[in-house]
Amino acid sequence: MNYDYLKQKRILLVDDEQELLSLVVSILNEDGFQNIKTAKTVSEAITVSETYQPELAILDVMLPDGNGFDLMERLKKTADYPVLFLTARGEDDDKFRGFGLGADDYMVKPFLPKELLFRVNAILRRSYKTENPLVKLHDSEIDFARAEIIKNGEHILLTAKEHDILAALYRNAGRIVTIDALCEAAWGDNPFGYENSLMAHIRRIREKIEANPSQPVSLITMKGLGYKLVVEDK
Amino acid sequence: MKSVPKLIRRFVGIMLLTSLLLIILNFALLGIYTFNQASNSSPWITAQEVADDLSKNENGYVLSEDMALEIQNINVWAIFIDNTTMKVVWQTDHLPETVPMSYTISDIASLTRGYIDGYPTFTGEAENGLVVLGYPKESFWKHMWPSWDYNSIANLPKTVLSVLAINIALIFIIYVIANSKLLKSVKPILGGIQALSTNEDVHLREKGLLSELAANINKTSDILQTQSGQLRKRETARANWIAGVSHDIRTPLSMVMGYAGQLESDVQLSEDNRGKAAVIVRQSKRMRNLINDLNLASKLEYNMQPLSLERQNLIAIVRQVVVDFINMNIDEKYTIEWEIDEEFTSCTANIDKDLLGRAISNLIQNSMNHNEQGCHIFVRVIAENAVCTVVVADDGIGATDEQIEKLNNTPHYMVCDEKTTEQRHGLGLLIVKQIIFAHSGKMLIKHSEYGGFEVDLSLPIII
Repeated sequence: MNYDYLKQKRILLVDDEQELLSLVVSILNEDGFQNIKTAKTVSEAITVSETYQPELAILDVMLPDGNGFDLMERLKKTADYPVLFLTARGEDDDKFRGFGLGADDYMVKPFLPKELLFRVNAILRRSYKTENPLVKLHDSEIDFARAEIIKNGEHILLTAKEHDILAALYRNAGRIVTIDALCEAAWGDNPFGYENSLMAHIRRIREKIEANPSQPVSLITMKGLGYKLVVEDK
Repeated sequence: MKSVPKLIRRFVGIMLLTSLLLIILNFALLGIYTFNQASNSSPWITAQEVADDLSKNENGYVLSEDMALEIQNINVWAIFIDNTTMKVVWQTDHLPETVPMSYTISDIASLTRGYIDGYPTFTGEAENGLVVLGYPKESFWKHMWPSWDYNSIANLPKTVLSVLAINIALIFIIYVIANSKLLKSVKPILGGIQALSTNEDVHLREKGLLSELAANINKTSDILQTQSGQLRKRETARANWIAGVSHDIRTPLSMVMGYAGQLESDVQLSEDNRGKAAVIVRQSKRMRNLINDLNLASKLEYNMQPLSLERQNLIAIVRQVVVDFINMNIDEKYTIEWEIDEEFTSCTANIDKDLLGRAISNLIQNSMNHNEQGCHIFVRVIAENAVCTVVVADDGIGATDEQIEKLNNTPHYMVCDEKTTEQRHGLGLLIVKQIIFAHSGKMLIKHSEYGGFEVDLSLPIII
């Protein structure tokens, strides 16, 4: 799937350290992001956001004239866009507060450039989906919006559970998702004892997405651990 | 407070035993006294002996010399009253003048039961009359009307037992009333002492029987509270200091790490320079991990890390950690083997998911850090005897017996209360130990069956 359109998103970066701002701008630029504005204080951030209308904000928590949590609340009053906290405050309470206020992610300094880019891209992908994203697999395509599989021109409907399981796998495409995480995605917070049901659902999903379900190439079993969805262009 | 009923039981036991012993002692003393008094019953015997000794000859009645001497020694006089004349026909020499010389039947009855002119009298039966012995005045007290109702005598054992029972019951009631007040004032004192042992703040009412004791307990509590407050303050300051330093290092380290990361992947740089940047990235990561570890270790050590214990499936947590490592695309020289039977899907315990995940993650990372040449890491969960054990083992270089002994039994330099210059190992295993202790679990380090290092983490299962 092509995500080039995400590189055009307007990003507001707020941190009181000029050198850190330069670093993050440089990391984002290298990955293709061009529309980036920076601010060093809460008031500056508010002024910039009024004219700039950002589509993603990366905020520090400790700022000279206030804190990032309050800033996020004020920014979100005018427009609802994703917020990523990038801060040296790594306490659980701070993280919970950030997430509780509606942050989309929380990163603790120091960080690797790759990690920052991975998270920024993931937030943008989640927040700005294309109209009808078709996910290409080896033998089929998934249309999550219509909850169906397109295989050899045939449209096969997904059940709600199959959709939930596939969505959880797709969010982590190329990575193993544990049996427990998949059960939680399909059956909620208390997913004890659904392992056999999950296996049955996986079998049915394979019948829908694989050319040869007994030798799967898109939905791979990682014995005892979980499953992995292999997407063609990811 | 379990000791209070025990105390009451003991007191009641002692009280009942004391009562019983007193009764036995009283009976024994009474017996001894009665036995000693038995010799006083001899006036009747003496009177009979005198009667038997008295004989008649041609000059009248005579008493043997021995007997005469015997009664003279005890200052006793004697008369012999003839059956037919009812007159005194024989008498001892020192007979008081006030003693009548003739008697009627009623006089006989009276003197047998009581006295003649205040002299206690005792009779002995002779062939033709009655011998009467008169003892000195006030030497004996005689019961003049010795008769009891037959039923009273027949019921005597029952009556005695009833009286005893009533006495014991009365003593018991008096004891309970008297002690209940004492117990009432002892109870808060006991509660206070118990609360002191758990370092609770104690404030007892300083009134009543044990007010002085209560005041002392209050004072002790105040001292303990102040001391633990100061200790806590010091610990908090230390943990805050570590947290502050680690916070302040994060931003500059971000710059080092970020630019080094960019240089590492800059294709315009030479391979050599990119290699140098990679070293900076690797060492920055080590510093980041050290900062995180130091912060967590100090918080766990000073109980400042909030635990959110919830019923969790341990297998799911371990599985997630293993999957996270595999998803991180770790170096190919390391493999992680999941050794849990597919049928074994659940093992529940009270767990702080993030912290325990961190502990298991530390163990896997530990195996990698100490085996640069690569190794296989084996992870399994075993449930036995209400204990769930996570085993992380490897087939790497392992450790010597001495090192394992040290790791198991010597405190880490960071929490050691003695001066030490020896830095035995990093913070990774210390954090694992702290986390597992915070879960009331156990950690055991040993040689693995695969020839390397093994750490077992055991937690109590909840059903």
